[in-house]
Amino acid sequence: MPSNGRFRELSDAELIRRFLGGDEAAFRALHDRHTPRLRMLLLRLLGSRRDEVDDVLQETWLAGCRGLHAFNGSARFSSWLTTIGIRASYARFPATNGTGPEGLDDIAAPPLPAAATVIDLERALERLSDRQRAVVVLHDVEGFTHEEIAGKLAMNPGTSKVTLFRARQALRRLLTDGALHD
Amino acid sequence: MTDSSDPQDLDARERALFAGLARESAPDAASTEALVTALRREGFLRAGARRRTRWLLPLAAALALFAAGALVGNRFATRHSLERALARTDLTVADRVFLLQRAGSAYVTAAHGYADATAHADSAAVEVANQVLLGAAHAVVKSKLNSTLSSNLMNVLQAADAKPRNPILWY
Repeated sequence: MPSNGRFRELSDAELIRRFLGGDEAAFRALHDRHTPRLRMLLLRLLGSRRDEVDDVLQETWLAGCRGLHAFNGSARFSSWLTTIGIRASYARFPATNGTGPEGLDDIAAPPLPAAATVIDLERALERLSDRQRAVVVLHDVEGFTHEEIAGKLAMNPGTSKVTLFRARQALRRLLTDGALHD
Repeated sequence: MTDSSDPQDLDARERALFAGLARESAPDAASTEALVTALRREGFLRAGARRRTRWLLPLAAALALFAAGALVGNRFATRHSLERALARTDLTVADRVFLLQRAGSAYVTAAHGYADATAHADSAAVEVANQVLLGAAHAVVKSKLNSTLSSNLMNVLQAADAKPRNPILWY
């Protein structure tokens, strides 16, 4: 049952108010509005675990709905929900998975080949370590700052910067040396 | 939201590549319904459930009322049907006379219906009606030979056979 068109004009705050009153159509409108972008982000963050995306998505929405009474509206609802989704994804990563491919840190990154496409980039992102992928997706795809990333991934901003540096080097290497087609 | 102090910044080509990545992915319908079901189970969507109950309760009441009415009507109609009344053994003579009148009226109604249905050949309808009536009278006479009614009917039938046919008038 798709959400009703009459809800398209309503703000997130109004939809949340109605949803908290038990209005299913308002929830569906809120879900339809925010899920496509959130799902894409979760797919990228999960990398090779992409088949778990709908489970993570459901966890995210349920956690979000349970916490909606505490949502004070100071942040945008989409940002608030995204943070929950990022943490739900990150919780699935093994705790020891913090470094990228061995030996990449000290190698100068080669220039990006002209033939590289977004498909190559998606594949390269998937090959990164979980933490590197999370940082580069949040920074270079979603546009979060290191401060924001540090808050979402429970690390300090300096760690986020270093991780991004390593992640970009790894990406350039993956995109130039043909490792994506192994 | 972006920092100005990013290490090893992306060049224009890399930025374009990142900008070209898909930003949305359509949710799976089954997952969406599973989520809505989970929210209902947790009581978040109670208004929807109340709305359903508001519809269901009057609907159930209306159906129950209809079923009860149909049952009572059926029993009432059955109890007062001619066939059921004829089968009773506790009737008085007056009741029997009344039943005979009802049966006669039913016969006339049936005969009229038959005549209407065959309006283009009404003489045939009259002939059939007469034959049925005479057949019924003969049946009564044969089965109740010792009764007064039977003997009287016998007399009427014999007289009718002797006389030319006159039209029968019913009430």
